[in-house]
Amino acid sequence: MAENGEGGEEYLFKIVLIGDSAVGKSNLLSRFARNEFDSNSKATIGVEFQTQLVEIDGKEIKAQIWDTAGQERFRAVTSAYYRGAVGALVVYDISRRGTFDSIKRWLQELTTQNDSTVARMLVGNKCDLENIREVSTEEGKSLAEEEGLFFMETSALDATNVQTAFEIVIREIYNNISRKVLNSDSYKAELSVNRVSLVNGAGSKQGPSCCSR
Amino acid sequence: MDEEYDVIVLGTGLKECILSGLLSVDGLKVLHMDRNDYYGGESTSLNLIQLWKRFRGDDKPPPHLGASRDYNIDMNPKFIMANGNLVRVLIHTDVTKYLYFKAVDGSYVFNKGKVHKVPANDMEALKSPLMGLFEKRRARKFFIYVQNYNESDPKTHEGMDLTRVTTKELIAKYGLDDNTIDFIGHALALHSDDRYLAEPALDTVKRMKLYAESLARFQGGSPYIYPLYGLGELPQAFARLSAVYGGTYMLNKPECKVEFDEEGKVVGVTSEGETAKCKKVVCDPSYLPGKVRKVGRVARAIAIMSHPIPSTDDSHSVQIILPQKQLGRKSDMYLFCCSYTHNVAPKGKFIAFVSTEAETDQPAIELKPGIDLLGPVDEIFFDIYDRYEPVNEPTLDNCFISTSYDATTHFESTVDDVLNMYTLITGKVIDLSVDLSAASAAEE
Repeated sequence: MAENGEGGEEYLFKIVLIGDSAVGKSNLLSRFARNEFDSNSKATIGVEFQTQLVEIDGKEIKAQIWDTAGQERFRAVTSAYYRGAVGALVVYDISRRGTFDSIKRWLQELTTQNDSTVARMLVGNKCDLENIREVSTEEGKSLAEEEGLFFMETSALDATNVQTAFEIVIREIYNNISRKVLNSDSYKAELSVNRVSLVNGAGSKQGPSCCSR
Repeated sequence: MDEEYDVIVLGTGLKECILSGLLSVDGLKVLHMDRNDYYGGESTSLNLIQLWKRFRGDDKPPPHLGASRDYNIDMNPKFIMANGNLVRVLIHTDVTKYLYFKAVDGSYVFNKGKVHKVPANDMEALKSPLMGLFEKRRARKFFIYVQNYNESDPKTHEGMDLTRVTTKELIAKYGLDDNTIDFIGHALALHSDDRYLAEPALDTVKRMKLYAESLARFQGGSPYIYPLYGLGELPQAFARLSAVYGGTYMLNKPECKVEFDEEGKVVGVTSEGETAKCKKVVCDPSYLPGKVRKVGRVARAIAIMSHPIPSTDDSHSVQIILPQKQLGRKSDMYLFCCSYTHNVAPKGKFIAFVSTEAETDQPAIELKPGIDLLGPVDEIFFDIYDRYEPVNEPTLDNCFISTSYDATTHFESTVDDVLNMYTLITGKVIDLSVDLSAASAAEE
């Protein structure tokens, strides 16, 4: 979700990571948010979402990046996961052809669940595994062009292109939001009216509601 | 599958998802499966195409109703008491971070052929035609007694042991008339029939306190809150909690068959030729039909409309209680309405539900008093379903079956069932006495 709050400008963008199990979604997130990599290949446990501050054109933007918590393993990602996301990184592993073949299904699920993603990037992760590559850069680029996505190959392990990938998505969201503000739909603002919070305080991660879709 | 788990949970209804979340947080290895390709089971929210498939047998809703995705139509409509048990569970588990809530605009009661707002503050109470002036004074004394009542402080009891004194006896002490008693019992204590009058008064007093506390919580027009995008968000939020703590999720698993050893103790679940072993099974009644018994039926109408319910001051979210005595029935009837302001329909559309404990086989006729209050409807659907409760002995077979959702307007009985099941499964009791005052927040 993204909201341009009244008074001081404050942006919060929900971005989701999707793709098959073990393509490195969690490590992309931890590399971007905490500059960490966990080589334990165990399925995602304990990962929530990370909120990261990014500056674009002098504006401070909160990117709230969600990981699947492992629910994609048996195709059980909730529709709520996609709710209000304005950005998505659709990830495959360049050393496993099957994960690339799944991309169209992930794009289909994303489109079915959410029509408000304005920035979508195809990410070929684990580009450090060049010697066992099964998906060429050209194939990735070609699919991205066909589907109208940004494209980048990354390595969460050695941090190649990770920061850049997220920043491109965030910037694209920002550019679209800026355009939309000029054509604002007052109905969207209604979503914030009368919302109540069950918890309070600095520790709360609760963000504002979706206002772009 | 083909693995070993501590607990296998079948069905992704709200009860099952809360339990899955709690058990995973406790460190148990949980596998959670559902035969459907969506979350929520009987407590899901459907989009328009899903609604049409279920009730009309095709997937072609008329285009003028708008995008299918914009609809989130609850199959088990209830509002959340703002100070109730479900809120406590949400805070206890920190699942609030996945959800957004809005206050419900109003709570109304049907009385003598008219719809009246249940007063939300002293000013409304003074103006309300539900009671005459002298009756209001007597009722006020009763309300003050209830407000001051503290179970652990005998000075507040005024010499009455509410674990013995019946509700009828308590109310008689304040000289209230039958109409007022009906209002208090059904619109404030939210009883669905009149059995409470002959039962100890403590339960009713507690319910009235819950209503007042919930009303005060966000100082809105009603004691209720409701999630954006509908109630289907709740099971999904708890499922994410479970997954974050290691729970494994599988949807679209047909024929989840529970397997037992020669002693009748559960050993696993088989689906699509694979068996997962486990020590315990938790499920909704539909997964173990041989271990449940029918205890009632719910009749429901679901309506899509293009206007608020008349006489509710243009409320975009509202509950109307039709007490049994007003209708000459055995149980109350409930109207529940939400709209595009809660993101459960496209702009300009409202979703209304009429629910009651079924007393006939003809929901369209039985629900007419409620449907008549809706005004013109664009589309209407009828449903009638059985309610079940478990009859097995969990200590013998290690199967823990939830009770079906009832027709009540809120989730208190739902959470009670969950907490009881949790204690049966783990032997532990959850302490839900979170400091709600610290958790209170002003409207954003």
